[in-house]
Amino acid sequence: MSQDEGIESATGAKDVASSMEVEAFRRLFPVQYIERYLDASVRPDGRPLGRARPTDVVLGQVPTTDGSALVKLGNTTMLAGVKLELCVPSGESPDQGRIAVDFQMPPICSPHVRPGRPAEDACSINEQLSNVLASAQLLDLRELLITSGKSAWVANLDIYCLNADGSLFDAALLACAAALTDLQIPGVAIDDDGKVQIVSPSGDQDQHMLDAEKVSDESKSRRIDKRRLTLGPVPVALTCMLHKKHILADPTAEEETYLQTTVTVAMDSSDKLISLYKPGGLIVATTSTIMDCIALTRIRLKEVNRILIEAAQVKAGD
Amino acid sequence: MFLNSQKALLKSDGTRLDDRLPSHVRPAFLKTGAVSVAAGSAYAEFGSTKVIVSVYGPRESKKAQAFSDIGRLNCDVKFTSFATPLRGKAGQDVSDKEFSVLLHKALEDAVDLHSFPKTTVDVFALVLQSGGGDLPAIITCASLALADAGIVMHDIVAAISLSCVGKDLLLDPTYKEESQQDGSVFIALMTSRREITQVTFTGEWSSTKASEALELCCDACVKLGEVMRVCLKEDAAEATEDT
Repeated sequence: MSQDEGIESATGAKDVASSMEVEAFRRLFPVQYIERYLDASVRPDGRPLGRARPTDVVLGQVPTTDGSALVKLGNTTMLAGVKLELCVPSGESPDQGRIAVDFQMPPICSPHVRPGRPAEDACSINEQLSNVLASAQLLDLRELLITSGKSAWVANLDIYCLNADGSLFDAALLACAAALTDLQIPGVAIDDDGKVQIVSPSGDQDQHMLDAEKVSDESKSRRIDKRRLTLGPVPVALTCMLHKKHILADPTAEEETYLQTTVTVAMDSSDKLISLYKPGGLIVATTSTIMDCIALTRIRLKEVNRILIEAAQVKAGD
Repeated sequence: MFLNSQKALLKSDGTRLDDRLPSHVRPAFLKTGAVSVAAGSAYAEFGSTKVIVSVYGPRESKKAQAFSDIGRLNCDVKFTSFATPLRGKAGQDVSDKEFSVLLHKALEDAVDLHSFPKTTVDVFALVLQSGGGDLPAIITCASLALADAGIVMHDIVAAISLSCVGKDLLLDPTYKEESQQDGSVFIALMTSRREITQVTFTGEWSSTKASEALELCCDACVKLGEVMRVCLKEDAAEATEDT
């Protein structure tokens, strides 16, 4: 759309707006509909421009995982689960385990995803998640090691988007961090050949007894009890939408569709910038706009850290 | 492991490992409107089996498909990689394709395809956790989601399965019970009409036992249908209150 056409349709919209129902106006002139709100410094859902949607984190919802989290960011919903598997550390890094991130958008989550082919968004978000988790200091891969060069854990972190209503990356990253907080590494017994056996979690008493006996027989074997990871500062992302002179934090799917420029900032609580992502868009962001986005992320960071602590307390209380 | 697999599924007092009677179903939780961006959706929980279904459409059919005067129902079932204790065991290609076909067949006759000519209604399911009786859970949940989307149906469809272990008939079996079954029945029923849209028997059944099993399943479906209606009414009332 050229600028002239834009102005023309805007004035056209103004003329008919008075005689039109709100819902019809919203569908026919979506950009003008949103702009009318923005001019009054408010969003269509009633939020101020810089505020993120209400966020809920629940830990340990999926018993078939070693750690899981359900995250709701407004209507956007993510379910993340970590499953641990044994592996042999790679030759390049014999003292490290691995983490494999897989972000999925099943067709249930959005009208734009059809079965058969993976959504484009899903691929790009998956890439961003892997990058941020690799460069953030949240997880020290050396903690996933069992025996140097012989055995380690590979953490399969699968994130499923259940409801795609905007700011998917922010919600997915939060789900990753929360699932890793919830992660519990099972105890293992290692015999003298370096063979690793998982000591079953408390549920299966027989198996547990069996293992204990076996271990006491073999004097050289070593045991590592079940444990949690010591996590570093949690990375938090905030997506901001740029439109004219406005900056909208945490956009909904509707806002993302009609306004086109996004800036995604990820930082951690030690105030380190981890990633800054602005994929094209109509607006050329100035340095001061970017600084504003970073300031908003800093505020969001505090909120999210508080939410994560509360979620952990609720889990511990159960 | 050998010892474990031989463990009895019924305790000495005749109840099952989760304290149910053989003819009792698992506690169910149903809720519509789980996915806000969909035309209709539902979440269902039967014991540890958890399913989300969302419905999109009626919308334009795929260009590749041949012209059809009546509407089309398009079903797709997926599993999360952590749905089963072993990662990625469920839902690898073959079984979710089969589930998709069975879901389609179970719903096709209940949906009024003439009410959305030339267009497609998409029914997508995601199994979050597989705890036995996955297919009946998907069908029941899909039927709720279709109702939530306002798609015209002749009747709602409730589905349930039953395992035959030795001489015992266990209604709505868990994953553990399913893995030891000698035979199974699965039915999908239009509950007010008492018409069966889909039924499968596996294993060896005598005719008396088969009719007993069918009777049990039908009764359970009718009861489940009532619960579904209550759920739809309550959620609809809640929705009108909100607006």
